Amino acid sequence: MTAPSHDAYQPAFWRTFWTNAVLAPRTSLGFMRFDFVLGTVFIIPLTQMVFFAFVVQLGNGGAGEIAFTAVGNAVATVTYSSVFSVCQTTDSEKQQGTMEHLLVSPASRLALYLGRGLIPILISLATVTVGLLYATAFFGVSIPLATIPGLAVSVALTAFAMVGFGLLLGGVALYLRTSIILGNIFLFIGLLLSGVNFPVSALPLPLQYAGDALPLTWGLAAIRGAISGEALGPLSLLWGAVALSGLISVGLAMGLWGFFERRALATGSIARF
Amino acid sequence: MTLATSPDASRARATGASLRLAILLFVADPQWLVPSTIAPIVFGLVSFELFRGEGPYFLTYAILGAGMMSMWGQTLYGSGWATGQDRQLGTLEPTIQAPTPYLYVVLGRIIWNVIAGLFGGVIVYLVVVIAAGGPPRLPNPLLFVVLFVFVMVTLASVGVVFAAAFVYSRYAGFIQNVGEFAFYIGTGCMFPVILLPFWTNPIALLFPPTWALDALRYVSIPGYSGFGWGWEWDLVGALAVTGVYAAIAGTVFSRVERHVLETGNLSDY
Repeated sequence: MTAPSHDAYQPAFWRTFWTNAVLAPRTSLGFMRFDFVLGTVFIIPLTQMVFFAFVVQLGNGGAGEIAFTAVGNAVATVTYSSVFSVCQTTDSEKQQGTMEHLLVSPASRLALYLGRGLIPILISLATVTVGLLYATAFFGVSIPLATIPGLAVSVALTAFAMVGFGLLLGGVALYLRTSIILGNIFLFIGLLLSGVNFPVSALPLPLQYAGDALPLTWGLAAIRGAISGEALGPLSLLWGAVALSGLISVGLAMGLWGFFERRALATGSIARF
Repeated sequence: MTLATSPDASRARATGASLRLAILLFVADPQWLVPSTIAPIVFGLVSFELFRGEGPYFLTYAILGAGMMSMWGQTLYGSGWATGQDRQLGTLEPTIQAPTPYLYVVLGRIIWNVIAGLFGGVIVYLVVVIAAGGPPRLPNPLLFVVLFVFVMVTLASVGVVFAAAFVYSRYAGFIQNVGEFAFYIGTGCMFPVILLPFWTNPIALLFPPTWALDALRYVSIPGYSGFGWGWEWDLVGALAVTGVYAAIAGTVFSRVERHVLETGNLSDY
């Protein structure tokens, strides 16, 4: 008979990742009811694009401006599944009383949070894809077949970066009473700062810098670059920027969670609101 | 022995108490005004940028649209919550058991939502005006104010109907979140409804704010071309549709109360 090991139990990385990927949509992620997902993928992109297309039309914008707005909003709707949904995980954990259990769990935090991001990344991919299909079908946007591979890479990187940003907001929300307000701010602020409806250069310089801090700005630039058939060199730079913004977001999220976890364990006051 | 109070006094008291409670809840946690103002502020600023250089009255479009969206959002979300809060807290059946019709309890909450929406509208107005560098020109400020108050009444009527419908529906959250842009488009918050395909216009006219917003634009934007019948008939139309909404709300709430008395349960739906 062997002596019991005193090493802390450490669940396998991929097991934690997969368990969270499967369970999070049913437990902690917001906006994940089946009807909500369908609405996010099929209804919100269309209505948001129609709304801004008519605003552009009222402002005497031409077909070019409408196409620009359509692409921007097709991509911007990704925030519903990637940012608004993901940042609500913290609220859900607090409301359901599972935050304490999570904080004392030995599971890898990276696996845990990346796992939670898997389904939102897939929904984000679907949302942008459907949005771009609407853009080509109804708003006169031309997407040549040759640009599809580059576009696919841009969309995938954007979905990853945006979910990373959602995780970061979820980390900030750990310290807040609720994440809903944060989620609402970042759900829409990209429409103003990220070049969704007009070029970023039209903004005052401080706002341009603020826009640069958002992954949506870089993701949208990469997607617009891919659609316009930009060469691989400049496009790679944009991809690098999108990936970097995603990695920074995930890194900051992990750092924040680590910091607030230590505070929670020390004070016992963060797990509830 | 106490004198029986008249039903009207009881109803007014219930509405007053419900309104007071809604105010107290709001004062206890006013941060909930933020979610309903963020989107309209952003949309107002985006529209202002898109309208830049198109003339002085386009600022009115942006401000009116964004303010209206704020009030719309507050009404829509607040209405869902007006009955949802009873369901979540388990107070729906006890409240409906009370002698005063449930409609008058919900009415107090809706009135507060519309007033809170007005706060949101004011915040949106201030932000867009600061960004634009000055307030919009109003040819007839007095008429504008009167019509603006009227818009709030029409929103309240929509709110009551939504609150009634949401008692029966588990899709309140879906309608509020996924349908948000559809309402903005359908009621012409930021642009005249006549820009939409003609077949959509009759649907848009089912909503009182469509009429009221058209009237508001007629009196505040010289040369505005909305529905051909002018702002006076807009007002008549808004009154008529608001009346229909009030009747629908009354009927639905009566059904709700009967349903509860028969089955004793509304929390499961």
